[in-house]
Amino acid sequence: MIRVENLTKTYGKKNNTFRALSNVSFDIPDGASVAIVGKSGSGKSTLMHAMSGLDRPEEGKVIIDGTDILTLRNKTVDRFRSEKIGFIFQAFFIQANETTYDNVALPLEIGGINGRERKRRVEEALRTVELDDKLKQKAGNLSGGQKQRLAIARAIVNKPSIIFADEPTGNLDSTTGAVIEDLLFKLNKQEGSTLIVVTHDHDLAKRCDMQIYVKDGEVERIDTKKGRK
Amino acid sequence: MKTVDIANRARRSLRNAKARTILTSLAIGVGAFTIAVSLAAGEGARQYADKLIGANVNPQVLFIVEDSALFDGGFQQPALQEYNPDATTTGNGATITQLTQADVDELAERDDLEFVTPTYQPQVTYITFGGVDKKFSADVATYDPTIMMESSVGTLPELGEQLADDAIVLPDSFGDILIEQNVIETKDELIGMKVTMTASKPSASLSSEEIQQAFMSGGQAAVVALASGETREFGFEVVGLSKQSATALTGTTSMQIAASKARAISEFTTEGTSSYQKYLGVTALATEGNDPEVVKAELIEEGYGVQSARDLQAVIFTIVNTLQGIVLGFGVVALIASVFGIINTQYISVLERTREIGLMKALGMRGRSVSRLFQFEAAWIGFLGGLIGSGIAITAGTLLNPWITEVLDLGEGNSILIFQPIPIVLMIIGLIIIAMIAGWFPARKAAKLDPIEALRTE
Ligand SMILES: Nc1ncnc2c1ncn2[C@@H]1O[C@H](COP(=O)(O)OP(=O)(O)O)[C@@H](O)[C@H]1O
Ligand SMILES: [Mg+2]
Repeated sequence: MIRVENLTKTYGKKNNTFRALSNVSFDIPDGASVAIVGKSGSGKSTLMHAMSGLDRPEEGKVIIDGTDILTLRNKTVDRFRSEKIGFIFQAFFIQANETTYDNVALPLEIGGINGRERKRRVEEALRTVELDDKLKQKAGNLSGGQKQRLAIARAIVNKPSIIFADEPTGNLDSTTGAVIEDLLFKLNKQEGSTLIVVTHDHDLAKRCDMQIYVKDGEVERIDTKKGRK
Repeated sequence: MKTVDIANRARRSLRNAKARTILTSLAIGVGAFTIAVSLAAGEGARQYADKLIGANVNPQVLFIVEDSALFDGGFQQPALQEYNPDATTTGNGATITQLTQADVDELAERDDLEFVTPTYQPQVTYITFGGVDKKFSADVATYDPTIMMESSVGTLPELGEQLADDAIVLPDSFGDILIEQNVIETKDELIGMKVTMTASKPSASLSSEEIQQAFMSGGQAAVVALASGETREFGFEVVGLSKQSATALTGTTSMQIAASKARAISEFTTEGTSSYQKYLGVTALATEGNDPEVVKAELIEEGYGVQSARDLQAVIFTIVNTLQGIVLGFGVVALIASVFGIINTQYISVLERTREIGLMKALGMRGRSVSRLFQFEAAWIGFLGGLIGSGIAITAGTLLNPWITEVLDLGEGNSILIFQPIPIVLMIIGLIIIAMIAGWFPARKAAKLDPIEALRTE
């Protein structure tokens, strides 16, 4: 379970400060699919960065499996991300010059998983996203949808317990976007990992178990399948 | 993250930026080429010098003088000195105290020295061959029994044996001159031919009474005879012609006679002068089983100036090393320039790959690993540069060596560029280290990159 408590993030210094997050709190149960919804500039990405241990807001707590990750040492946070978190970005951020295989192998290399186990996991992840026929292909030559599938394979290859997807369909046409959405929800069900999608697409948000609406850095409202909270 | 994985990623990312990688490596390659060539040339020159010394200088040889100022040309001497009757003036104006016959005898008696031979200076007025009237002049030197010399015609004594008293060895080139001068028709005729040297003693300074007396008894002719001094003929028989080899330094332009004859001639010509039985130096061999360096130390303790074969080698090596150092300097300058090239390209690479770095850090890659990734890339560039530079140097050197040997007339089988694996490997390792040091600044920038900033898309 993820518990966010009174999270506040301020940009800038002294008299020129800007509150990107103020006093944000909520709980996310394990295995849930969650949408963080809001307009551009509302603070969705900032919230995601704080929850994934990329950023360190000055106030509040992010408690994952009982540990406040904001209090961990850098080295431990890096390992936490490497082992527990998967990322999917709007702009894919795949390494265009590397093969699909080497793109997917990167998190395993970082995590120190070697040899046969690495190969097995990479191939399995690529099979899951149906790119196993493009093993040796340069990632730059893939189509947009294939690139995002590749990014998904990279996100799931280390079997993370939480997957963050920041506007995962933002750069795709609606048909391709739908395929990616289906894939994400399928994985969420199959693997039991928590899926946190940052989006301003209300249709996508509705498919999630839980919607956190953000406005001007504050939580406006939280919806769950069972009802409004 | 495992070092292998980092190194592989570094290699791949360089391969993906081929043009940039090759251009940056070429910059290092220029330095590597210069250094490889200077190392090879230095080694070649040292080996050649060694061969030269080995062929011409007995390792046991010692050159002994009274005054070690001779070795440094007397540069440390004060301009005004007390008069010394045993001293002479060298070519470059230094006043050198000479060895006396007593010194020579003392040295000859030592049992750690053999072949003690003073540097006689036999000066003859003219030379005739085989009774032919034509008069020639040439340098006369003492035959050195400590060097194996080869003959083109006739036979020379075994190594270590002095010439017979009346034997003479001529340089092979003299044979050609004598044929040209119609003294002989073939070189073979020279063997057994009589050679006569005429030496003259300079007239002693005459007093006015002596001149008057001579004039009274014999008139003008008697005075001329008295003033022109005394002459004496020394007869020899040619035993052989010495051949010039590419690596021979001595025995090429002088006629060589036995030490005893050289002594006789120089004593005849100097008798009654202050140079009589005075010698600039003595050559001797440390006897077998005696380390020449130990004997040298002992002699120096006794007040002599001594140089050994090793000193001669050291002098030549110093020259070689200095020249090598200059060329090496150019290589180092080229390397320093290429260091900035590496820093520059790697900085650009970091800027270009901001996203990639941000992603890797977001995925939990440690800053240290990111830094290592860029340092490995720099290391690969250094390695490639070293490989390119030394590869070109070795190829060019191997192809040019026969030509250089011919142009410089070094003699068959001598090469001036000798590439050795260990210095080249060490150089490449050095280049890798230099490249990594140069890559440190960009690598640090990459390591410190904030992943959030790097992955910002807006
Ligand atoms: N490094 C920064 N310095 C100053 N302001 C920032 C910085 N990063 C984000 N912001 C501001 O914080 C707000 C929230 O940003 P973000 O979380 O990226 O919004 P979004 O909901 O579009 O993902 C925006 O107004 C943005 O301009
Ligand atoms: Mg955003």
